[in-house]
Amino acid sequence: MKRINILVGALSIPLFVVAWEVIARSGIVNAVLFPPPSVVAVALVEWVRSGQFFLDLGASLYRVVTGFVVGAALGIALGVLTGQFALVSSLLSPLFHILRPIPPIAFVPIVILWFGLSETGKLFLVVWGVFFTVWLSTHIGVQKVDRGLIRAALMLGTPRRQMLQEIVLLGALPYIVVGLRTAISISFYTLVAAELAGAFAGIVYRIEIAQQNLQTGQVMGGLAALGLMSFIADRLFAAVAERTVWWR
Amino acid sequence: MARTIISVADLSIVFDTPQGQVIAVDRVTFSVAHGEFVCIVGPSGCGKSTVLNTIAGLETPYSGAVTVDGRPMQRPRPDVGMVFQQPHLFPWKSVRKNIAHGPRMLGKSRSEARAIADGLIEMIGLNRFADAYPHTLSGGMQQRVAIARALANQPRVLLMDEPFGALDAQTRSVMQDSLLELRERIDATVVFVTHDIDEAILLADRVLIMSAGPGRILRDLGVDLPRPRSNAIMLDPAYLALKKDCLDLIRSEGRRAFDQSSAG
Ligand SMILES: Nc1ncnc2c1ncn2[C@@H]1O[C@H](COP(=O)(O)OP(=O)(O)O)[C@@H](O)[C@H]1O
Ligand SMILES: [Mg+2]
Repeated sequence: MKRINILVGALSIPLFVVAWEVIARSGIVNAVLFPPPSVVAVALVEWVRSGQFFLDLGASLYRVVTGFVVGAALGIALGVLTGQFALVSSLLSPLFHILRPIPPIAFVPIVILWFGLSETGKLFLVVWGVFFTVWLSTHIGVQKVDRGLIRAALMLGTPRRQMLQEIVLLGALPYIVVGLRTAISISFYTLVAAELAGAFAGIVYRIEIAQQNLQTGQVMGGLAALGLMSFIADRLFAAVAERTVWWR
Repeated sequence: MARTIISVADLSIVFDTPQGQVIAVDRVTFSVAHGEFVCIVGPSGCGKSTVLNTIAGLETPYSGAVTVDGRPMQRPRPDVGMVFQQPHLFPWKSVRKNIAHGPRMLGKSRSEARAIADGLIEMIGLNRFADAYPHTLSGGMQQRVAIARALANQPRVLLMDEPFGALDAQTRSVMQDSLLELRERIDATVVFVTHDIDEAILLADRVLIMSAGPGRILRDLGVDLPRPRSNAIMLDPAYLALKKDCLDLIRSEGRRAFDQSSAG
């Protein structure tokens, strides 16, 4: 029973690719709009060989990584502040709760007005998307830190600063890690919006250009590259997270 | 007679709750001499934790005067240590680092703090677990670590709030015996809260019996049983006589409270 499951699992993707190839070549569908995987593969190879792929990958990675790091840092910092200090929370939480539900993609028009097609605008979108998720999970995590731990730390003479750095931050860490993981997929959503809004390089930008030239193979190759990037980012993070919450 | 180290005078604490004001502690007065082991016993909800938290500096504001070593308690102080009913160990720190936390916070160097921790680990007999994380230890072991952690700052006063209340009966009596042993070796004044009369008489030099609603001290009872003690003392006639006194008192108080509440 188990063995059959593993076998079928291993065949899942190859079977899908073969079925796709057969259907695309059979003439049932328009091969220009629905090219077979072999055509997609050729487009991918060409993309890499021309050197353009690495420029696109670099541009997209830069946006997603920088945006993620800045958004996460801001989210953690403000989450600790609003989670820990009631006054800061009263000041900021209502605002954040109003802004948070607006899908970040809806900000594309105003970002173009503010920043044009510059890199800053693209980073802004990614930072914006990442920030709210990380802020909320940090805020909740800080509030859920076991009061008993805080009291124990107080009784041991823990000064304010260490209390924040050690007890509160580490106590909230499991929550923060969950927020960061969600934020990774959000950073890819917002990357897509940012590059579709207009760019000069990038994986999604390449997809858009290929679409305009009716290079459907290249479009699908771009999608595959984006999916792989996002998948690897998530797996990498999962591996890092396991080490971050080291005491579990 | 040794000098007073803890003084609680006319302590009252009222909590605002959605159901109105609750008088948790009503004009409680007592003092504890240097080196004494005092147990506070009473039914749950009678205000034992509230009194202890006030001595710890965790419960402010309060009305009345609470001083340790002559200075009023307004916030936690490193010369007053506390062990709670739950161990509250830092889950991200090993046993050694948990115990070393206090000395580190008081400015001791890494190696000094480590030496202090290792000494205490030896004392509680957990050498094999020095590098273990708390969740890998049993409840009894965790509470030993919590006691060691509280002792690491060499507090003059050790407060214990039902520290063995969450343990099974067998572990609890082992812990009581090791606390009795430990006490011979450390120079701290102890205030120990429990709802278990046997535990109170076994451990204490003096037992303060509290009653509920509002929390008051009913009786201040000296325990003149020889030391060193162990659980074996619970069959001693003198022990049983003391226990009978306590039970009679608590029973008549319970009846009074019951009559009062049915009449009112
Ligand atoms: N922070 C609080 N807010 C409101 N009521 C409280 C608070 N802490 C304790 N109380 C109430 O005060 C009374 C005494 O509580 P406590 O000191 O915990 O009793 P004990 O430790 O003897 O079980 C109880 O009625 C309890 O509900
Ligand atoms: Mg209590």
